[in-house]
Amino acid sequence: MATSFPIDVQRGSTLHRVGQVVLFGLVALFFLRAGLTWNRSGLGQLTDALLFATAAIGLNLLVGVTGQVSIGHSAFFGLGAYTSAILVSKHDWTPGWTFPVVVVLCFVVGMVVGLPALRLKGVYLALVTIAFATMFTQLLNWDRLAWLTGGPIGIKNIGYLPPEWTPFDGRKDLAKWFFWLTLVVFLICAAIASSLIRSRFGRAMVAVRDNETAAAVMGVNRAAVKTLVFGLSASMAGIAGSLFALKLTLVEPVVQFFTLFGSIFLLVMVVLGGAGSTWGPLVGAMIFVYVRDRANSVGEGEGVFGLLEGTRIGGLGGIVFGIGLIVLVFVAPFGVVGLLRKGRAKVVRVMPRPPAAAGHAPPAPTILTPASPDPTTQQGET
Amino acid sequence: MIASSFEKFIQFTVDGLAAGSVYALLALALVVVFRGSGQLNFAQGEMGMFCAFIASTLYLSGVPMWLAVIIVMMVGFVMGVGIERFVIRPLEHKNPGGVLVAAIGLFLLINSLAVAIWGVDPRGLPSVFPSAPDDFFRLFGAAVRWEEVGVFLAMLGLLGLLWLLFTKTKVGLGMRAVANNQDSSRLVGIRVGWILAIGWGVAGAIGALGACLLAPQAGLSQTLMLGPFIFASAAAILGGLDSPLGAVVGGLAIGLIQNYIIGYVNWLGGGMVLSVVFLIILIVLLVRPTGLFGSTRVERV
Repeated sequence: MATSFPIDVQRGSTLHRVGQVVLFGLVALFFLRAGLTWNRSGLGQLTDALLFATAAIGLNLLVGVTGQVSIGHSAFFGLGAYTSAILVSKHDWTPGWTFPVVVVLCFVVGMVVGLPALRLKGVYLALVTIAFATMFTQLLNWDRLAWLTGGPIGIKNIGYLPPEWTPFDGRKDLAKWFFWLTLVVFLICAAIASSLIRSRFGRAMVAVRDNETAAAVMGVNRAAVKTLVFGLSASMAGIAGSLFALKLTLVEPVVQFFTLFGSIFLLVMVVLGGAGSTWGPLVGAMIFVYVRDRANSVGEGEGVFGLLEGTRIGGLGGIVFGIGLIVLVFVAPFGVVGLLRKGRAKVVRVMPRPPAAAGHAPPAPTILTPASPDPTTQQGET
Repeated sequence: MIASSFEKFIQFTVDGLAAGSVYALLALALVVVFRGSGQLNFAQGEMGMFCAFIASTLYLSGVPMWLAVIIVMMVGFVMGVGIERFVIRPLEHKNPGGVLVAAIGLFLLINSLAVAIWGVDPRGLPSVFPSAPDDFFRLFGAAVRWEEVGVFLAMLGLLGLLWLLFTKTKVGLGMRAVANNQDSSRLVGIRVGWILAIGWGVAGAIGALGACLLAPQAGLSQTLMLGPFIFASAAAILGGLDSPLGAVVGGLAIGLIQNYIIGYVNWLGGGMVLSVVFLIILIVLLVRPTGLFGSTRVERV
């Protein structure tokens, strides 16, 4: 039996670790190379993808892992953006110092918005979050709040030049500066999310998703889990929005990602990448940004797409994007990560570790499940 | 002439009921789909909008408006059945979460198709009801337009038809059975697949009618259904997603609230109406998590 596929690899064995490191190294190499050599537009696109991925990580924790559907995360995204914009333009803050404020504010607002989740389920909860997103856009446009938000005009000129201590040279390296800044934020959020999923709290999240009543019976504090995850995912969306606004150098209510469509697109990224998976948000966001930019370059015209972004996109582009989405859902029902996982399972099978105390425990079962039994890879009924 | 406060109240009520009727219609479409398949069809509004554009094309080529509406209702039916059979059902077996994304894809696809076919210039759509500026009568001093009466009656008529469908026909009996329990329905010989498809078809037809009733006042454009769809889903949720009566009550309530707010709460401004409506719904939902008339299901562990 020299090489018969699939090869079995035990979880946590040296080979498994090496494989993980190599995979991670390749991804790191890709981003390193991009950050050093790519031109401004390519880097801008990748920065967008990382931004959305950061927001999608948070949404994935909520939707994919905890099973609470939110179509309202554009509001947190926008809240982060506006908080930074207001602090920078009206109170002369250094943009970097607004990040902690954004995180805390969005966390608190997220917990409050999550409160209905204690009572409501499924589509009903989804509508409450839709309501939140719609209300947020209306508040931005409300002329009685214009002293704060700038009303329909928004707030302009809020860029973030690289600080002195960074190796970046002012305006010239703006794209690079934003790329590395976003990458760092993304990595922090990704680290928080992946360690959270593996923790005791993470198992409580999965339990709430799979069967709320059973989770409660087993002693999971549903209220704490739901509100905390809502808050956490809101702050991730908020910090992404803050970066988004600084990169765009302005905020206004018509920016697509502050409207309901932003929420929908974030959700699309999570599902496309693979809800509940660790890599899903990044993959989904990258595909989304790439496909969107492709679709935009296909045709001129207007439509939902163009009308809301305030640009002349849509028509043919929207058709391509719409069909692309449907086809992708058909080809990769558990997201692109699910598809890749299935492909990998043909070559390498990851086996769970046998029970630790082999001495007095019953013998390890000889028939093992072929797919990785990682609880986070299973699709919840969202 | 300054209208008395009573006249104003009647006027707001009449306008509110008229606006609410359209929301109720669209909410009915959502409810019919939800009862069968447990899905909220995000492409519902866009399907209706697309049908209204077809109606406009038919009208411009000489078909009378009432006939055009009937034709596009059939088109809507076929669209609904087709989407259920070829997109939703194959996906549902694979991944229920994917249905949401596919619906969003359909939303973008249909909207962009309408842009590609008919362009972005808004066009008018004549009403099936008398809608000249002087087609109104006075009720306690308030102007009641015949068009508003027509929309209201159309909505009531449709509710009646749906009631007949659900209670008096075999298909309707099947629909109720499927809504209750799909597996048991299949065991007693109901063709669940077709029942679900017909549900989507009926919803498609109702959506087409709703869009055709809405377009004459709102103007026909690709953004026609964005706002009304949100109001309609709010109405469906308020009434309870599985109750047709709830959809109608919810729709009318939202239409009324909307008009009273615009009429009486001046400092808020028209832009904040939806926010107030949502706040009210949130309060209702916190008291009754499945809406006013929705049924709760006992979950077994």
